Amino acid sequence: MLEDKISEVSKLFNDDISKVNSLKDLENIRIKFLSRNGLVAELFEKLKNVSKEEKPKLGKTLNDLRNSLTEKFESLKQQFEESVNNSNNKIDLSLPGIKKTIGSKHILTQTLDEIKSIFKSMGFSIFEGPELESDYNNFSALNFPEDHPARDMQDTFFINKNYLLRTHTSPVQIRVMQNFKPPVRVIMPGRVYRNEAVSSRSYCMFHQVEGLFVDTDVTFAELKGTLVSFAKQFFGENLRYRFRPSFFPFTEPSAEMDITCYLCKGEGCKVCKQTGWLEILGCGMVDPNVFLNVGYDPEKYTGYAFGMGIERTTMLRYGIDDIRTFFDNDLRFLKQF
Amino acid sequence: MKISLNWLKEYIDLSDISVEQIVAALTMSGLEVEDVINEREKYKDFIVGFVKEKNKHPNADKLYICTVSTGKEDLQVICGATNVDVNQKVVFAPIGTLIPKGNSKITKAKIRGVESFGMICAEDELELSDDHSGIMILDDRLKVGEPITEALALNDVVMEIAITPNRPDALSHIGVARDLAALFNREIVLPKVELKESSEKITNLVSIEIEDSINCPRYSASAVLNLKIKESPLWLQERLTKIGLRPINNVVDVTNYVMYETGQPLHAFDLDKISGKKIVVKSTKQESSFTTLDSKLRKLLPNTLMICDSERPIALAGIMGGENSEISNDTKNILIESAHFSPSSIRRTSKYLGLSTEASYRFERWVDPSSTLFVVQRAAQLISEMSNGEIAKGYIDVYPNKILEKEVSLRFNRVKKILGYEIPEQEIQRILTKLGCKLLVESKEEVRFLIPTFRSDLEREIDLIEEVARIYGYNNIPTVDRIAVTLGAKIDQTEFADKIKTLANALGFYEMINNPLQSEHLASILGNKIPLLNPQSVDMAYLRTTLIPGALATIAKNINVGEKNLFLFEIGNVFNKKEDVTEIKSFDDFTEEQKALFIMTGRMSEKSWHSSEKFVDFYSLKGMAESLFEKISLDNVILDSYYHGENPIYNYFFAKHIDKKQICIGGSIKKSVLKEFDIQQEVFCFELDLDYIKNLKRVPKKYTELLKFPKAVRDFAFIFDKSTSYQDVIDFIKKSTSKFLKSVSLFDLFESDNLGKDKKSMAFSLEYYDENRTLTEEEVEKEFLSLISLIENKFHAKLRGN
Repeated sequence: MLEDKISEVSKLFNDDISKVNSLKDLENIRIKFLSRNGLVAELFEKLKNVSKEEKPKLGKTLNDLRNSLTEKFESLKQQFEESVNNSNNKIDLSLPGIKKTIGSKHILTQTLDEIKSIFKSMGFSIFEGPELESDYNNFSALNFPEDHPARDMQDTFFINKNYLLRTHTSPVQIRVMQNFKPPVRVIMPGRVYRNEAVSSRSYCMFHQVEGLFVDTDVTFAELKGTLVSFAKQFFGENLRYRFRPSFFPFTEPSAEMDITCYLCKGEGCKVCKQTGWLEILGCGMVDPNVFLNVGYDPEKYTGYAFGMGIERTTMLRYGIDDIRTFFDNDLRFLKQF
Repeated sequence: MKISLNWLKEYIDLSDISVEQIVAALTMSGLEVEDVINEREKYKDFIVGFVKEKNKHPNADKLYICTVSTGKEDLQVICGATNVDVNQKVVFAPIGTLIPKGNSKITKAKIRGVESFGMICAEDELELSDDHSGIMILDDRLKVGEPITEALALNDVVMEIAITPNRPDALSHIGVARDLAALFNREIVLPKVELKESSEKITNLVSIEIEDSINCPRYSASAVLNLKIKESPLWLQERLTKIGLRPINNVVDVTNYVMYETGQPLHAFDLDKISGKKIVVKSTKQESSFTTLDSKLRKLLPNTLMICDSERPIALAGIMGGENSEISNDTKNILIESAHFSPSSIRRTSKYLGLSTEASYRFERWVDPSSTLFVVQRAAQLISEMSNGEIAKGYIDVYPNKILEKEVSLRFNRVKKILGYEIPEQEIQRILTKLGCKLLVESKEEVRFLIPTFRSDLEREIDLIEEVARIYGYNNIPTVDRIAVTLGAKIDQTEFADKIKTLANALGFYEMINNPLQSEHLASILGNKIPLLNPQSVDMAYLRTTLIPGALATIAKNINVGEKNLFLFEIGNVFNKKEDVTEIKSFDDFTEEQKALFIMTGRMSEKSWHSSEKFVDFYSLKGMAESLFEKISLDNVILDSYYHGENPIYNYFFAKHIDKKQICIGGSIKKSVLKEFDIQQEVFCFELDLDYIKNLKRVPKKYTELLKFPKAVRDFAFIFDKSTSYQDVIDFIKKSTSKFLKSVSLFDLFESDNLGKDKKSMAFSLEYYDENRTLTEEEVEKEFLSLISLIENKFHAKLRGN
């Protein structure tokens, strides 16, 4: 008898639910069948009067009914809610997103970061030194004799006779060697100053990275290998390069490294002055006089040093044609990188 | 320096070597060729033209319509030169010719209504000289239609070579030829001196005495008599023009020519203007003045090396001659000086006077002391040949301080140790010999060379290694493809600043890099500024004492271009003289510190449809500082002091101290400061002492177990007197409760008339918990209620709600 009632309620539920048109209809069905005083609860009430033998079986049937009705109800409810969201509450998904501003490092810092990470992977440490330097560290210790035309290679801002704004990052070499015994393998990034007329090609200050490696058997061949590896990682694997003799008082032999102009691919253009080559850095074997100045034995140790400008490389890479752009700090520029 | 290939060929046979090979070899051996002018290329389209007809232009008074024959056809050409005339042979540029001056191409043109099919050229248009007084009129014997590269022998190649300061020996054609001899394994041939001397002895005409032999170790001289000053022959004029010199007269031209040939600067005196038949080389004792041949009166320091006659100085040694002994068109007899002066003496005077000449440029680098006599005789010969002069018999050569050739040894294993590559011993010897070194001793391990005096840069073994390497070719030395890396700790001194930069980006700040050189005005705002001795301009005459003025200038520039919402930061060094220091004598007299500046102005975020506008204020600034501190493990650090006024920059500000050292200060920038930069909107910033912070000892981070028991959260709001400070309330709450209260935060603050006059409401959220158990409802309630009454009593506050 209760069994009949159960299937009756089930049928009634299915009839009702097939006619549902709104969430409100659905709520009425919930009240009619599944609420505390609903038809299903009524059936459970009736279960109390059933004989002990029949109770487990009917109890299970009734439980199944309740679960099945609840499930149907929930699923329909979810369908309704979703469709309501989609139709009645339609939002304009094309409105712009709300962005969170993430700043950026200056493009010169980003370039330097790349250079640092390449040399770090080759076992270099990173050191810094002061910008206001002594004449001794900037020139004399680096084998620039007093009253020598080599000093004219770098127009200098002086503070007084003995102090100046460093013209290159090379004095940090002196500081590192004065404080550490070989082997030393370091790069030394920093800001340098030159008393040159400000123009699109030159500014009164710029940034360099200096490199130094001193040990018992450091050779020119290793210097070449290290710099070629750097240049390939930084400028691209298919790079062509050459080492050209040059002069720096603190290295001997001295060289400049050129790479194929990557604007004209070596054909010759305005940027490379029709040569097809771009100079990217200066380098060489540490001059024995520099070793003597810092108390290293030049018979025992050999070493190499190199230095490159960050601005020039960055200008070439990104097509920036005026060095002053870096220091104008126009937000529209800063945001591009 | 300009080097002519035709000229070079006087000393070395390069006939089988292409221009490209020569240029590449020079560049790759350290004489960098920066520019090449190939005349055959440059003048390839110009031809000899013949002016057949000349008529007045109907529409222009100063123009002529010419008919120019090219040998193949007759063309109508408009010409404006006053000297153009029929039957002239001229340089003609047909349509399509590239004119060197201005780099423009000749096209068919209509000039005042008349068509023109080419151009008749002047010297300046061909860059042969600056002359634009009229068109070039050519020798009548030239063949019409012939290219001018043949007709005028414009077939040279001129190379612009950058000579590094260590290579003064290469500042001449013979010097460059010497490198080429080593590179291409050739011989160089020096010009032969054959003198036809007169009977007049030079020693009867003049005597020479060196008083300062330190600064003038050698002085050689020849004299040419009864000469006639006139124009130099064409070949000499052309040689000089090619390398960018202006021909003047036969004497000056020869001294220039021989200098560019040998590297030895020469000076010619009018012998008749030398009084007392005597030359004395000496350094001045006192300050003096002297008029150089450019008619400028120059003030001289004591100890300036001068060439004097018996009465007065007649030349500034090694730099420039004097007006009083200068040769003129009437000069009959000359004395030619060829000396060696000490580089530092010349450099000192040249620097002091700001006067650099071709002579001083060479003397301050080093001029070969061994060839002074050869060079002066070479010059005497040339001058006599082209001036009908007679060379006085003999010469004068005073050489009190003989400069000896040095001996330098080279160990073969050292070459390998430096280069990482073994260059054959034979090759080492060949290279050094070709460069002019003489082999003295040879053994299995080493070679010993006598170094020629023109190579002052070769003093040590390493100098010889460099010579060997550069001539052998750097690119012939292999490139290793593996390196050994030392194990052990690596140091990165830039790591901390990099971390701050990354955090600044996360907080929405863009990095700027400002010029540390500032005007006196900007550098005076704070600190104790350091001036430059030789500034470029008043705007860049001082070092910055703080990052703030540079940042404000950047903000002002950005506002001017419409960027008004700015979150910027900079990490950089600032410089301050220590108090009571007048002159920097050591590193202890000033500080150079790395600082970080965060500066913000305008809206907190871009104007958006989504949320209401919020502008940067003191609290957003403070929050930035606090967020930053948390991330750099200074989370136990709280901004510890707040002030109104009493600061040159800030209106009101916060500061943070560690061990009494102020490591951070920031706040709202005063209107008066902003006004200096024409900034109308509010600006906030804080500055961190990075040098100090990065070296602080940090407690290593440790994991804290996550809470296993529930938190009890209670809120309350009180009406306080307006004058009650947030900090006082927070401090009181923390002081007055048990250890179960783990956090208090302000979540609402407002003032309203409903609260009463001079009242404000502050609402706090409190979290209670214990790490080891669940707190009971009663425990929390008891604490909470007791706190309420404590606050009510302490601050005369009234609990809101309820």
